[in-house]
Amino acid sequence: MRSGQYGRTLRRLTTYGFVTLGALASIFPLYYMVVGSLQLRADSAFSGLIPKAGNLGLQNYRDVNRAISLLPSLGNSAIFTLGTVVLTIVVGLPAGYALARLRFPGKPAVAGGLILVLVLPFQVLMIPLYILAVRDYGLADNYLGMILPFAVNPAAVLIFRQFFISLPDELFDAAHIDGAGEVRTLLLVAAPLTKPAILTATVITFIGPWNEFLWPFLITKKHSMQPLAVSLGEYVSTNAATAANPYGVILAGACVLAVPVIALFLVAQRYFTSAALGSGVKE
Amino acid sequence: MARMRTFTAALTALTCTALTLAGCSSGGGGGGQARSGPIKIWYSNNAQEVSWGKATVALWNKAHPSEQVSGEQIPAGSSSEEVITAAIAAGNAPCLVFNGSPSAISGWVKQGGLVPLNDFPDGVSYIQGRTGATVASEYKSSDGKYYQLPWKSNPVMIFYNKDMFKAAGLDPDHPALSTYADFEAAAQKLVGSGVAQYAIAPAPTNEFYQNWYDYYPLYIAQSGGQPLVANGKATFDDAAGQAVADFWAGVYAKNQAPKEKYNGDAFVDKKAAMAIVGPWAIATYAGKVNWGAVPVPTSTGMPADQIHTFADSKTVSVFTACKNRQSAWDFLKFATDQANDGTLLSMTGQMPLRTDLPTTYASYFSANPEYTLFAQQASRTVEVPNVANGVTMWQDFRNGYLKSVVFGQQPTSQWLHSAASTVVSDIGK
Amino acid sequence: MSAMEHGEPAEPAAPAEPAEPAAPASPAKPARRGRGGPRSKTMIGLYLAAPYVVYLIIVYAVPIIQGFRISVLDYVYAAPGASVPQPFVGLKNYREALSDPLLRRSFLNILEFLAINVPLTVILGMTLAAVLAKLSRMKTFFRSAFFVPYVTASIAVIGVWYFLFSQGGLMDHVLGSWAPNPSWLVNSKLAMVVIALEVTWKQLGFYVLLYLAGVLLIPDSLYEAASIDGAGPVRQFRAITMPALRNITILVTTLALIVGANLFAEPYLLTGGGGPNGATMSPALLIYQKGVEQGEPGVGAAIGILLTLFILLVAGAGAGARRLVQAREAA
Repeated sequence: MRSGQYGRTLRRLTTYGFVTLGALASIFPLYYMVVGSLQLRADSAFSGLIPKAGNLGLQNYRDVNRAISLLPSLGNSAIFTLGTVVLTIVVGLPAGYALARLRFPGKPAVAGGLILVLVLPFQVLMIPLYILAVRDYGLADNYLGMILPFAVNPAAVLIFRQFFISLPDELFDAAHIDGAGEVRTLLLVAAPLTKPAILTATVITFIGPWNEFLWPFLITKKHSMQPLAVSLGEYVSTNAATAANPYGVILAGACVLAVPVIALFLVAQRYFTSAALGSGVKE
Repeated sequence: MARMRTFTAALTALTCTALTLAGCSSGGGGGGQARSGPIKIWYSNNAQEVSWGKATVALWNKAHPSEQVSGEQIPAGSSSEEVITAAIAAGNAPCLVFNGSPSAISGWVKQGGLVPLNDFPDGVSYIQGRTGATVASEYKSSDGKYYQLPWKSNPVMIFYNKDMFKAAGLDPDHPALSTYADFEAAAQKLVGSGVAQYAIAPAPTNEFYQNWYDYYPLYIAQSGGQPLVANGKATFDDAAGQAVADFWAGVYAKNQAPKEKYNGDAFVDKKAAMAIVGPWAIATYAGKVNWGAVPVPTSTGMPADQIHTFADSKTVSVFTACKNRQSAWDFLKFATDQANDGTLLSMTGQMPLRTDLPTTYASYFSANPEYTLFAQQASRTVEVPNVANGVTMWQDFRNGYLKSVVFGQQPTSQWLHSAASTVVSDIGK
Repeated sequence: MSAMEHGEPAEPAAPAEPAEPAAPASPAKPARRGRGGPRSKTMIGLYLAAPYVVYLIIVYAVPIIQGFRISVLDYVYAAPGASVPQPFVGLKNYREALSDPLLRRSFLNILEFLAINVPLTVILGMTLAAVLAKLSRMKTFFRSAFFVPYVTASIAVIGVWYFLFSQGGLMDHVLGSWAPNPSWLVNSKLAMVVIALEVTWKQLGFYVLLYLAGVLLIPDSLYEAASIDGAGPVRQFRAITMPALRNITILVTTLALIVGANLFAEPYLLTGGGGPNGATMSPALLIYQKGVEQGEPGVGAAIGILLTLFILLVAGAGAGARRLVQAREAA
């Protein structure tokens, strides 16, 4: 009896030890990012892991702000990201509903297309889409041009679709008996229930454009149009500006870039369960 | 069913429209050879050139109310070439860009983006009169036309940190850096004494243009002024090219230069005791580094007045998207006349590409003696060859250089030999 | 889909339609009034999906067709109105792309990336998910901790990784005289390993969640039965958990393949443009260099198509191998 209890305690200890180790490994680089961003002089020694009072300050944040003017960049990131999220919901939600609960001509093709674009590597599209966007659609240095390839996140459409499939049929039957048309059913019955799906899809969609480097890097060349990820990336690659602590400046920019999305995730994570995600991948 | 067919038809029509849009290079545009009127120009986005650009535009606008010029900084992050390429394709390039790169000209011509300056009656005579026929001819394209006006150069030289040299026991005023042996001895002292982490720190990254600031200036000097390519053939697979490759390979093998990219300016941050760069950088060194400058080294040394180097020049082109081309040309002549070239020199420290620079602006150079050296050097510069697929050629050259010279994974002679044939096939594509 | 299985209520002749601002509704009205019945319902599905279909066409179908077209042309980013010849060149762009040793190198780099990323992700993802499922306390905390790197921007992560692995960085300090020479990011053997580790670390939280979804679907009765049979936790994991998660592992492998092929920010920023000496060159970076920087969109488009074929080939090989293993297991 006692040895069993002892074994269970030991097992629990190992279990918690293991996940704690994993969590530390996950968080440590982010901790280091914050510490490094506050160092006045880059201190890459082991002891530099612990912030030292004499070597702390916000100079790096001032320097990064001078080099890439954070606020306008954050504004561009916000427009780019929110545009994508809104379009994903406005276009993706009805499409997900139709794919889940309605029969219409060409439905298998649309469903197939949805899966196809999920696995299609972006490189096939990169050059032709760049040409189309810049040359034919005239969308260089334009928010629409940035948003275009991200506009409707296929994973989000899939989540919507799975969500509507998982809703009980009775719900819809009742609405139909009441004489509601499909559009009203969607708006009045299904939509109010979709909050968790919309939140999950928002987080999934949000991190894409917010963190994206390659496409906005191609399509925006004006400094004043670049989202933060791109201006920071260009700062890293050109390292033209001189600062007292170039590492620290990059890390300060990294913190500014990382904080909003981590905050959003922590706020939404209650809804962002593996079950919601899992519904998208069960397939 | 009918409805569905309509819908499908609409989709098909939409697809077709998009495809046709993509397919044809729609007519219209062009024309407008000699019209006058307001124009738009771009200038570089570094602080000194922005103030020059603003001043020059204001001066012009006061005297030309019907041909107002609106000037903007080039909307570029890291690479202005890409921005211009995209602007040409989108049809929204400005009339003039005061930041053209000779390596990119052939590509822009191929895009149909540039107006040959020969179209203007006084085009050729103005260019050759200002820059001198011999130097100007380097900027001619393969069809014999000028698509760019050679504007200014930044002759690349070796900058050194006087304080560090002194600390390492080297002569800070007349350092011996003219031969490879001198350079290596100095490097050894600087690094060995712990005064500097690195002797010199050219970027060891693989951007296509990086060889312009390590191999190419030294090769131009060593070969007595040869460009990388002449008459469709690579010039560098010879003793001169070999000597330069071995010099840099030695520097890297002895860890006198970093193999890893440094974030920031290693020279300003005092990580490197020397830098290889043009006079535009002086403004960024002001107040931070006590610097001196000498010509780039050659294997056994040459008198300073015989050393050639890389020009790192910028040119100005008139773009086909421009309607009021006559005004554009007139403004270009105005902005590059003797007075405005003088303003450029005094505001940016960059060398206008005109004949007799030291005598024309004698008073400036007597007031700023540190620039005299660059003015003298400016008469002995070489640009990148004006060939087709220049960027591809330099990228391939860079890839091989990194492998062989920086990382020592291939004998330099082998690399030079294979690079010579790669270069020829690149420019012949 | 079960949605259509149940009876279709007939639309009332004059539906009490409130003034709906929703755009998709209005074009549907005449159809519904005119004909009513199932067909109108059919049309509504189409209308609801139509914006998405249009989007798929503009952003995927047209560019893909255009990509094939460009890949067989000597395409130039011509100025509007300029008459620039864009001759058909057959497979020349493909030949040029394939003759570039860097392209072969970049494909090999994907395989190297997979060789490091997939086993680590599968082992760590599965184990962490299995352990996480058993936790009674602080589950949310741990789940969030694992997931935070995934939501953090690559650019931000690259900044830290740079600080960690650059010459004289924390890693070198920790290792002291054991620090590799040449340093991590310029060491042709280690640079790709560093990138693969960075990506694995960043993505792991997402895969943990996927695996967790799978673990939670496994009925507890299976474990109880195994427990009664005297199987310890390790044997339970191997006999029950692992087989149940096979499908997720397939998904993880596929996603890893796509991530590997899509690497751009890491080789562009962390290793100075795919360095050292091509050791971290990725196909995406090569497409950018060729197609945008060097003004050869034909070659860039061709690499894009070759890369897709490569991905299909690797994924196909994986599927084939799986089937072989399954067949052997069955036999």
